[in-house]
Amino acid sequence: MSNSHDHDHRPPAPMVDEVSDFEVLEVAVRELCIEKGLFTQDDHNEWTEYMHTLGPLPASRLVAKAWLDEDYKQLCIDDPVKASLDVGIDWINTMPTKFGTPSDYCNPRILVDTPTLKHVVVCTLCSCYPRPILGQSPEWYRTPNYRRRLVRWPRQVLSEFGLQLPEDVEIRVADSNQKTRYVVMPIRPEGTEGWSEDQLAEIVTRDCLIGVAMPRADRKADDKRPIHRAVHPFGH
Amino acid sequence: MSSNHHAEKATGIGDPQCFKGEAGDPKFNVGDRVRIRNLPDIFYTRSQMYLREAEAVVVKLVYESPPAEDEAWDNTDSPEWFYSLLFKQADLWPDYPTKFAGDTLETELSERWLESV
Repeated sequence: MSNSHDHDHRPPAPMVDEVSDFEVLEVAVRELCIEKGLFTQDDHNEWTEYMHTLGPLPASRLVAKAWLDEDYKQLCIDDPVKASLDVGIDWINTMPTKFGTPSDYCNPRILVDTPTLKHVVVCTLCSCYPRPILGQSPEWYRTPNYRRRLVRWPRQVLSEFGLQLPEDVEIRVADSNQKTRYVVMPIRPEGTEGWSEDQLAEIVTRDCLIGVAMPRADRKADDKRPIHRAVHPFGH
Repeated sequence: MSSNHHAEKATGIGDPQCFKGEAGDPKFNVGDRVRIRNLPDIFYTRSQMYLREAEAVVVKLVYESPPAEDEAWDNTDSPEWFYSLLFKQADLWPDYPTKFAGDTLETELSERWLESV
């Protein structure tokens, strides 16, 4: 029954709108593991903090090196685990487990684009992603929308990312639903002749490494984003 | 703190590298045409429905590993060869535009899911 005193009172908004079933499941499994002594809360804190230090810079560097060095490019194709060592990423011996967690199996594969072949990566099952060398996946990569639509309407989805490719370019979707983790090596864009490895690495953004964008000489990963003002602002 | 048997096997070697040499001779080779079997799966699989009964070409033998259907239950007794397979998008989706007939999809499946065409 409502009472007149707080008739107009609006309760503070909750901190989160909803906790999903999967989040509840994660907490339950994590707490069980701690109770059973499989790992401690300190271990868990250390691993999560470590995982959040990872990002796409090593993969940007790997691509830039490969653009400048044909032998290194071949190594990226033949033995990506070894090639990753040159950019400071050890797939086998790093945290948290030192053997690849179930979501980070140690079988990276570099998909090399050509002028007539464009790769783009998805995991239709969940969100398999080459975390050791790309860090945490972006939110959109994990959405059912991206996962179920990319395999079936790749050109439509890519055009929503602003990437429209001609008919004579083959689009190859890589669905990483087993133990391989894919990284896309895009083609080196025009206008980058004579650039250093540092300069090249700056234009290989995370989205280029997933395959939903192509590097451009005039766009760096840390550029300021444009501000698009509302055409009809609220209250106008 | 004790590790589980999987950690002991894979530490310092990596997964799937730790299963190398355990699957025997591969049944298929690069270039073989295969059809994806539509096997019943009980509780867990990583073999997507949209691939079932489609035809593909083997492009790479990728690694040996227990198939996901076993590994989900901690059964690592029977590793299999895994194959990277190339599908034509037009073979997967009846409404895929003929204009883009060259588009493809690559993914991996274990040996039990494949049969020769």
